[in-house]
Parts: sequence; C-alpha cells; structure tokens
Amino acid sequence: MEFIIISTLNGVIYGLLLFMVSAGLTLIFGMMGILNFAHASFYMLGAYVGYTLSALVDFWVGLIVAPLLVGAVGILVERYMLRRVHSFGHAHELLLTFGLALIFEELIKLFFGDFPVNYRMPEELHFAAFTVFGTDYPFYRLFIGVVAVIMFVALFVLLARTRIGIVVRAAERLPKMAESLGHNIPLVFMGVFGVGAALAGLAGAVAGAYFPTNPNMALELGVIVFVVVVVGGLGSLKGSLVASLMIGLFSSFSIGLDWSLASLLSLIGLGDWAESVGGLLTMTISSISGTIPFLLMLIVLLVRPAGLMGDRN
Amino acid sequence: MKTPLIIAAVLAVLAGLPPFLDLGLQNALVNVLIASLFALAFNLLVGQAGLLSFGHAAYFGVGAFATLHLMRVVEDGLGFPTPLLPLAGALTGLVVGAIAGFFATMRSGVYFALVTLAIAELFHALAPRWQGLFGGEAGLSSMRMPWQGITFGSTLEVYYLALGWVVLSICLLWAYTRTPFGRLTLALRDNEQRVRFLGYDAHATKVIVFAISAMFSGIAGSLQAMSNEVANYSLFSSHVSAEVVLYAFVGGSTVFFGPLLGAAIFTLFAYLISDLTRSWLLYQGLIFVLVMLYAPTGIGGVVQYHARHWPRLDWSRLTGPYALGGLGGVLVAGAAVFLTETLSVLFDEPYAVARRDAGGGYPPFEAFGTAWDPLSVLTWLVPVALFAAGLFVLARARRTIAEEWDAIRSDPAAEAAGDAAGEATR
Repeated sequence: MEFIIISTLNGVIYGLLLFMVSAGLTLIFGMMGILNFAHASFYMLGAYVGYTLSALVDFWVGLIVAPLLVGAVGILVERYMLRRVHSFGHAHELLLTFGLALIFEELIKLFFGDFPVNYRMPEELHFAAFTVFGTDYPFYRLFIGVVAVIMFVALFVLLARTRIGIVVRAAERLPKMAESLGHNIPLVFMGVFGVGAALAGLAGAVAGAYFPTNPNMALELGVIVFVVVVVGGLGSLKGSLVASLMIGLFSSFSIGLDWSLASLLSLIGLGDWAESVGGLLTMTISSISGTIPFLLMLIVLLVRPAGLMGDRN
Repeated sequence: MKTPLIIAAVLAVLAGLPPFLDLGLQNALVNVLIASLFALAFNLLVGQAGLLSFGHAAYFGVGAFATLHLMRVVEDGLGFPTPLLPLAGALTGLVVGAIAGFFATMRSGVYFALVTLAIAELFHALAPRWQGLFGGEAGLSSMRMPWQGITFGSTLEVYYLALGWVVLSICLLWAYTRTPFGRLTLALRDNEQRVRFLGYDAHATKVIVFAISAMFSGIAGSLQAMSNEVANYSLFSSHVSAEVVLYAFVGGSTVFFGPLLGAAIFTLFAYLISDLTRSWLLYQGLIFVLVMLYAPTGIGGVVQYHARHWPRLDWSRLTGPYALGGLGGVLVAGAAVFLTETLSVLFDEPYAVARRDAGGGYPPFEAFGTAWDPLSVLTWLVPVALFAAGLFVLARARRTIAEEWDAIRSDPAAEAAGDAAGEATR
C-alpha cells in the first residue's frame, strides 16, 4: 500500500514535469512540423539560468527570468536559424536543431563544468507537505506539480478561449488560408517557438532545483520527452498530458518491481527452465526500467504512429 | 578523368606513409579508417535512400560485441583466422539490421528517425544490465591472437588489416551504387510513389538497403573492437550515433566520398588538437551548424559544384575573392577560438583557486602563451576586433563571389556544359 501511494504520487509529479517540457515540443511539431532536438536543451538552459540567478540574486527572480530568457533564445533560434534552413527541407531543420543541442551542451560544460551544480530550492519551500507511512513527503514535489497544472490551464485557456488562440490554431491547421486572411504567420510561428522554449525553460528552473542539474540532463530528459510526444500523438496537447502521466507512473512503478519474465514463467511451471537460460528472462523490471519507455515508443510508432490522441500520421 | 589518379595517390599515401609515423598518429589513422567506413555505411541509408537514421550506433555496437565474442572463442583455441574476424561483425550487422530495418522502414521521415533512435536507446539501456551478452557495465575484452606468423601485436599490423577491410568495403559500397539495385535506391529517395507504381516492392527494397548499411556499420564496429580489444555499452550511446551524422553531413551526404571527407577531417582534427583544447566538441558542433546554415550540401557538395562548373571557372577573377573569404573566415574563427579558450580558462577550477589566492580579485590568466588581464578592455577588444574585421571582410568577399557566380551561371553555354559534366560525374 505504501509502495502504491508513494509511487503514484511520484509518478504523477514526474509526469507533470514531463508534460511541462513536452507541451512546447508538441505544439512546435504540430504547427511547424519540426521535431526540435534542441527542446530539452531549453529545459537545461532554464535550469542553469535558474541556478545562476538563485546564487546571484534570488530563487524567485530566477524562476521569472529563466523562462523569459530561454524564450528569447528560442525566438532568436527560430528567426535567424530555422527560418534560414526552412527552404532546404525538414531534414535540415531537424539536423540544425540537433547541432544546436550539441552546442548548448558544450556551452554549459564550458561555463559550469562537466559535473552537477548545487542548485537548491529556497529554504521557505523546504519542508514536508505531509507524512505518509512515517516518511515526510517533500512540499517541493507538490510545488512542481502545481506549477505544471497552472501552466496547463493557462495554455489551454489561451488556446481555446482567446483570439490569439484562434489565430494560432488556424495557423496550425491551414497556414496558407490564415495568411491570406491577413495574419502574420511567420510571427505566429516565431511566437509559438518562443513560448514553447519558455515553457521548457520554466520547467528547467523549477525542476532543476529538485532533480540534479548537470550537462547530461538535456540528453537524458530529451529522449524521454520524445517518447512522450510520440506516445501522446505528435501535435496533440491533451495526448501529451496523458502520455506524460502514463510514462511518469510507468517509470516510478517499474523501479520498485522485481518481477522478471522468469517469475511470470514460473506461474506455468517453467520457472526453473527460465532461471537456467538466464539473460533476458531473469532480468527484473526494476533493472531494465530504462528500456520500458523506448519499448512503448517503438510499439506506438509501429502500431499506431498517430499516437494516443493524434489525428494524423 | 582525374578521379582515379587522386584515389590512387591517396591509397599510395595510406599504404606507404604509416610506418614512418609515430604510434599516436598510427592509432589516429586507424580511427580515421574506421570512422570513414562507418560514415560511408551510414550515408548509404541517408544519402542514397533518403532515410535519416539517428541510431546507427546500434549496428556499429553489435558488430563490435559480436567480434569480441568470436575473439574470446579464438582465444580459447578455435582456429578462426584473425584477419577474417570482421566477418562476425558483418554478419551480425546484417541480421540485426534486417530485423531493425524491417520495422523502422515501415515508417518514413521523422517517424523513421524516431524508430531508429528508439532501437539504439533500447540497446543502450539494455546492454549494461545484460551480463552474458554485453558484459554488463564493464563490457567485454579480449586479445588479438596471432595467425600464420602475423602477431597482430603492433598498431601497424592492425592498421594494415583495417586498411584492407575498409578499402574492400568502400569498393563494394561504390560498386553497389552502380548496380541496378543501387539505382533503384536512388529512385526510392527521389520518388517513392513512382517506384511503387513501377511494380517494385518499396518496403522490401528499403529493408535490404537498411541491412546492407547496418552490415558495413557492423564491419566498422568490428574493426574498432579489434583495434581496442574492448567494448562496453557506451558504444550504443547517442554520441556515437551523433558523430556519424556530423561526419556525413559536414562532409556532404549528396556526394559518395563526402562522408569519408567529413570523417577523416573530424577524426584527424580531434586527434591533433585534443591536447590543445578541451572544447573540441563545441567547435565540432559550431562547424556542423555553420555548414547546415551556409553550405547545406556540405564540403563535398561545394567541391562537386565547382567540379561541375570547372571549364567555365575563371580563376584569375575568383582567386582574389576566395582568398579574401578565407581571410574573413580565419578572422571570425580566431575570434571564436579566443573567446572559447579564454572563457574555458576563466570558468575552470584552477582559476577559481587562483582567485581565492588573490583574495577574490581577478588575477591575470595564461592563454595562447601570454598573460591576459581579465579586467582590461584590451583583452576583450581582441575578439571583438577580430570578429568585426572578419565579418566585414566576409561580407565583401561574399558579394564579389556571388557576382562572379551569377556571371558563370547566367552564361547558357556554361550551364549546358556544366550539366553535361554533372551528369557524367554522377
């Protein structure tokens, strides 16, 4: 019981964090058709901006400045780089963002060194929210979740209930038509890219203070975020929320399970045989928990490439 | 044609020079050979079939592990000839590639890239846990066994073994592009739908291309395993997949020998300047992004473009602007290098210690053989001046070069001749 409750809490909050990063990625893909390899780098940049400002000024200042700064970086990338290679085709856009991800990683190593930095949450947030089964549950985890929920609601209202949202959705569905009606589509694209980057930056500034902040964080989270947007359906915001929660729960539960294929086979009397074969059959779920998201992504890509909620291939 | 002459000259140098080089350089050349083969194998997929894979480390890795397993058996007394060990990598690469390719090529575009990425990540996540097959986190190691009086103990012997395999593989890859099936691969890239209407099975074709590409990647991995005598799960990491993408696109994926060029330049550079700087990967990334922005066909593409228009190029008019452009490039690169290296000194641990010793001030630092004052305007004027001058020169050179090329292209006779030459070189 304890395992289930703690794992659910951790899983939901990790999922919400994944959602914060993947929301921008899926919006950008849905609109511009670009799979942005540098998106997780924006998350990392956010964490490092947050770290620098929390050391120099204050945690809360970092929390506000990080998304703005990272959003500005995103706008520059879109305006002066992506737009330039657009005419060379999607493959080049993909490769460009891929190169940018490498550069961001190396720049971070240049300034901050190739090791984790000590980015800490402020003292006023460092307390236990409640106690379950004798262990304190840190308030900061809930804080991460709350920020993500606020973000989702704000994004949803913006897209579904405002004039800007209508233009953005029109630009996504029929860019040529929206442009003929007098809307500045390149500006909309730039704005969406900037907002997407800013959201990733905010996620980095919030989560970096709890999870480790190091030059590998972009790479580690980046692949998982790809899994999320693929499983949720490229371009679907709701899909990526569902997929984020799913992946979050999967990974928090799988860490604690020491089932293996052998224990499954022993139910039908083949346990000893499986033990003697070894290899894949005796690996516990907890030890290969890292592979589960990729298996899931492969299955979705091969069976239903549109994802859970995407409506196109 | 001059091309056979150039190839013969390169081969002669590769065969004759290494005995006179020091051990480090010999080792670097082995790595150049392996990287070249890997890049060409990768490019069979991306350049010829138009399928962008982000997970080629998987096939490089399985080739390496298969070879190490075979080497261990040979160590225990199996009489398998050492020079033929890469066959294990080739076979494993082919089989794993055929299976992975069957699934990956069910999708195209971004989705194909994601499937290949996921497959490589699966290997990367599984390998450190799988003791029997991949040796766990420590990996596998073995020794090269002597064969027919050849000990394979020295780097030079490994070099010649690698050279033989790489030249043979490149010849096969080149021959492949000349076969009807190789032409079909190109057609698949240009218009898949038409290929299907012509009655070909597009999926089967793609699977075969994928498997062949994986097979040659497996040979490259195999040579790596033989050269290092160890392999661990880091062979599957996304860095390996990333490197080969960089090689192929900086070298030029539209030209057959382009990726080879990229691999050779990057690998040699990495060796030559790795003692001088820790920021090589940053420079590598910057070069890649600049190529993507300003020369999307890569170095090979630029060279090919010139070769195609060769008869009409008036070098008495072009040399000046090109030299000017080169100067601008050197100035801008100088500014970037100065900035990177000073920053890497200023943000490094030793400088923090020096600051503490100096009581929190900013003591002068050492870079490029002299001492610099971090608080002096003069220090920071160096990169700014270099950058501004470089940009100015580059802008001027670019204008004149563009004018010259407009003149070359607008000449209808030149265009016809260029096209004919282009067709002939394809």
